Amino acid sequence: MRFAKHLLWAGVAVLAAYALGALATTRGEPVNSLWIVVAAAGTYLIGFRFYAKWIAARVMVLDDRRATPAERLRNGHDFEPTNKWIVFGHHFAAIAGPGPLVGPTLAAQFGYLPGTLWIIGGAVLAGCVQDFVILFASMRRDGKSLGQMAKEEIGTIGGFTALVTVLLIMIILLAVVALVVVNALRDSPWATFTIAATMPIAVLMGIYLRFWRPSKVLECSLIGFVLLIASIFGGQAVSHSPTLAPWFTFGGMTLAIMVIVYGFLASALPVWLLLAPRDYLSTFIKLGVVLLLAVGILLVHPTLQMPALTQFIDGNGPVFKGKIFPFAFITIACGSISGFHALIASGTTPKMLAREWHAWPIGYGGMLLEGFVAIMAMIAACVMAPGVYFAINAPAGVVGAAPAAAVATISSWGFPVTVDQMAGLARQVGEQTLFARTGGAPSLALGMAHIFSTSLGGAFVSFWYHFAIMFEALFILTIIDAGTRVGRFMLQDLLGHISAPLGRTSWMPGVLFSSALIVGAWGYFLIQGVRDPLGGINSLWPLFGIANQLLAAVALCVATTILVRMHGARYMWITCLPLGWLLAVTLTGAYQKILSPLPDLGFLAQAAQLRAALDAGTIAAARVHATEVLIVNARLDAAVCAVFAILVVTIALDSIRTWAGVLRGTVARTTTESPFVATQLNAEEL
Amino acid sequence: MAYGLRVLRGLVHELSDQRAYAQHLQAHGRTHSAAEWRRFSDERLKAKFGRPKCC
Repeated sequence: MRFAKHLLWAGVAVLAAYALGALATTRGEPVNSLWIVVAAAGTYLIGFRFYAKWIAARVMVLDDRRATPAERLRNGHDFEPTNKWIVFGHHFAAIAGPGPLVGPTLAAQFGYLPGTLWIIGGAVLAGCVQDFVILFASMRRDGKSLGQMAKEEIGTIGGFTALVTVLLIMIILLAVVALVVVNALRDSPWATFTIAATMPIAVLMGIYLRFWRPSKVLECSLIGFVLLIASIFGGQAVSHSPTLAPWFTFGGMTLAIMVIVYGFLASALPVWLLLAPRDYLSTFIKLGVVLLLAVGILLVHPTLQMPALTQFIDGNGPVFKGKIFPFAFITIACGSISGFHALIASGTTPKMLAREWHAWPIGYGGMLLEGFVAIMAMIAACVMAPGVYFAINAPAGVVGAAPAAAVATISSWGFPVTVDQMAGLARQVGEQTLFARTGGAPSLALGMAHIFSTSLGGAFVSFWYHFAIMFEALFILTIIDAGTRVGRFMLQDLLGHISAPLGRTSWMPGVLFSSALIVGAWGYFLIQGVRDPLGGINSLWPLFGIANQLLAAVALCVATTILVRMHGARYMWITCLPLGWLLAVTLTGAYQKILSPLPDLGFLAQAAQLRAALDAGTIAAARVHATEVLIVNARLDAAVCAVFAILVVTIALDSIRTWAGVLRGTVARTTTESPFVATQLNAEEL
Repeated sequence: MAYGLRVLRGLVHELSDQRAYAQHLQAHGRTHSAAEWRRFSDERLKAKFGRPKCC
């Protein structure tokens, strides 16, 4: 039996290695997407069974005889021992957002190989390790948050940095995901109607759940789902109606203002009315679509059209500028490592673990599944013809606003595409045009629609396209409304130190003021993105990636400090290696985004180029004010990037000081773990 | 198979807050009513939407 198990694992290892080898060495011939699936699944299984189990047994010394906080502090609320697979589903639903879908789609401009390798290797060695160690650390410390642990383990600077970082990331995150939605809805009456319909549907669900059928969440979500599907068909009818279509056809700026107003209302309205019903619905749809996509890819196993590597690894990509290092690793954040996960792993999840060993499948395994979602997004982006991919994702400012100019530019790169081909595709999905639909969402929706419709015999492409857009926009809007609210709470927490009433979450003027401030902050960046001639994603997505990886660096600093306090220098490499990599990536990325002499890449060079054009009088009088605004925006982006870099250096230096102190013996090697209490719980009964 | 279905049902109940509501009723020795659901829901949602959502 033991021999058969060894043989089985050896087989998995050989298969994964063979698939990885095939992916890495195949050039110029079509590659089936199943190779990516096999390479990822095999590597993830090996990482989970051997590396993660070794960390759990040797480094963390997980002990099922020890009572978890869920058992010791059980209160029927947040502390509650729960079946491990239920916690797994809950944890995965909490960590899965639009990041692992959009990031790989954008990074596909480098070809399928760099992103795929980073998603596979990064998840096993970095992202999963971060989530797992932080979950373990929080579980051993009564479910403490990342900020609390940073303060206790590293010092006050660490704690403060964590708080400021989270607030800054929230602002950039909300702006960038809002931009993705705006770009997906621009000039699309079908998509705009469908998304607009989700709001009255959510309000109806809220009233239903509050007054008509209290507690019937499942029943209410089912009704909401049926209404959502009806709204997709309604959107189709609207788009075909010459009277109604103009009512739902908007440009980027109008849509941006609508999203900003929505964010403000959602932040100020009672949670039960809009946020909660939308959140329930979004969670179920998210899990369902991920499952559906996995089944679809296995059924269809499409051939990848994108080459393994494109010429854009040199930094001249049309989707965003910057070389493969560091930008492939910044663009794909959530599918490989995401600092935000550390907030979840030190939030609800540690308070639900019934056994210490449950942290292994939940902390490490949950992130592996997230990596798999990113792999599916990469496949969905790479199954379409590269010419089509670039026509959708390249901004008009790069390839030209006229379709003929855009296809000529893209075809000259060696990725043939025609105006007729794009027009036919747009007709097929019920859109007026698919040119320059930047942001990743439309091309991902097209890839998903291709997979879904092919698995059903090639029918209903337009329905699936708009279903995918609705799915993406629905849970992005969930992040916008919930994120704005959380940002408001954080801001009120800070404002409370200046004026006590402003800190009260029940005082309406304070609520409105702080909501306006937080919405104004991300709304500013959103409008900046809409105005950006390079499409906005070029500047905002790298900023978001740097910020998210910065939070991961904070989490890994905390994790390393805990390991150093536990074992000295012996096992610190486990978190130090990914930390070193992240520091290299974020600092190089920040340096290039601020100081690169290339105007398309460096914010300051871009500002200088625009200033020189203004001074030389080559800007038309009508564009002078807009150009002044672009200069201010570029300088602001440079400043934000510099703040991120300073924060990451500060916390890294502070952590190194603590590690050196512990290793030299000048800082006490004390543990902040809760004392051992023997468990009385029969976890198998849960 | 039966275990899988039980877990799936448990997960759906967890994600729809049905499990937490049942625990709330049990912990406080109360029975279901519209007012009780609203009391539970307000508390639950306050905590839920006080935390950042993942990207």
